[in-house]
Amino acid sequence: MTGSDIEIELCEPLVPVEEYLAAGVHIGTQQKSSDMKPHIYRVRGDGLYILNVQGTDERIKTVAQFLSNFESPKVLVVTSRQYGQYPAKKFADTIGGTAVIGRFIPGMLTNQSLSHYIEPDVVLVTDPIGDRQAIDEAVQCGIPVVALCDTNNMTGYVDLVLPTNNKGRKSLSMVYYLLTREMLRLRGVKTALTIEDFETEL
Amino acid sequence: MKFVQCTSCNAPLAEAGATRFPCPKCGHEIRRCNRCRKQSVPYICPQCGFRGP
Ligand SMILES: [Zn+2]
Ligand SMILES: [Zn+2]
Repeated sequence: MTGSDIEIELCEPLVPVEEYLAAGVHIGTQQKSSDMKPHIYRVRGDGLYILNVQGTDERIKTVAQFLSNFESPKVLVVTSRQYGQYPAKKFADTIGGTAVIGRFIPGMLTNQSLSHYIEPDVVLVTDPIGDRQAIDEAVQCGIPVVALCDTNNMTGYVDLVLPTNNKGRKSLSMVYYLLTREMLRLRGVKTALTIEDFETEL
Repeated sequence: MKFVQCTSCNAPLAEAGATRFPCPKCGHEIRRCNRCRKQSVPYICPQCGFRGP
C-alpha cells in the first residue's frame, strides 16, 4: 500500500456523505452555542444552523476509538430522549455495554445503597441538556463524559464532543449504528447489522 | 511531592470534578481540571496534537 492509498483509506467516510445527509445528521437547531461554533458549517435560509458532516464522520470514528479503551460493561450510554432510546439500547446490547434509557434515577452513579447503583468508567450521553443528571454524577465520580452535541448545546463537562443532530429519529439511528459498527470493526468483528436494525419504529 | 497537572491550564488535579482519560487519538493521558471541564476549555494532546473536547 502506498502512502496515498493509506491517506485515501483514512479519509473515506463511514457511509457516503449522501447517506449522512439523508439521515439529517447535519441538521442543527435555530440556535448556536459559542461552544459548538467550531463544528458549525453555515446557517440555512430558514435559520437552521448546519453542522459540518465531515466533522461528524471523523468524530464518530474518534469516539468509537475512544470508547474501545474501556471494558465494554464499563461503557454507559444514557438517553432520556425518546428517539435515542431504541438505538442507544441496541448499541449497548451489541457492544456489551450498559444502557440507561428513559429516566435517569438520581444517585445511580453516586449512591451505593441504591439497587440501581452502577460504576461505569465512561459515560456517553445523547443530549447534554436532557441527560444533565448523568453528566453531573459522572463529574462527581471523576469519569470522562462523551456527548452527542447539537448546534445549541453547551459543552461544559463534556470531554469529547460528537457533533450531530441529537434530536432526529434517523440521525440518532445513524450515529448509534455507525458507532456500533466502528467499535465492532476495531475488535475485528464483522457484522450483518444494518441501519434498519437501529431504527425506532414509528 | 509532585501534583498531577491539568493538560490545559497546568493546575493541580486536586479537587473533585477533575478527570483523566486516554487521548481519543493516541492514548496519551489527558488530564482536565474541574474548572477547564466546566468552562469547556480546549485541551491539546501533547503527543499527537488532538484538540478536544
Ligand atoms: Zn485546567
Ligand atoms: Zn494524542
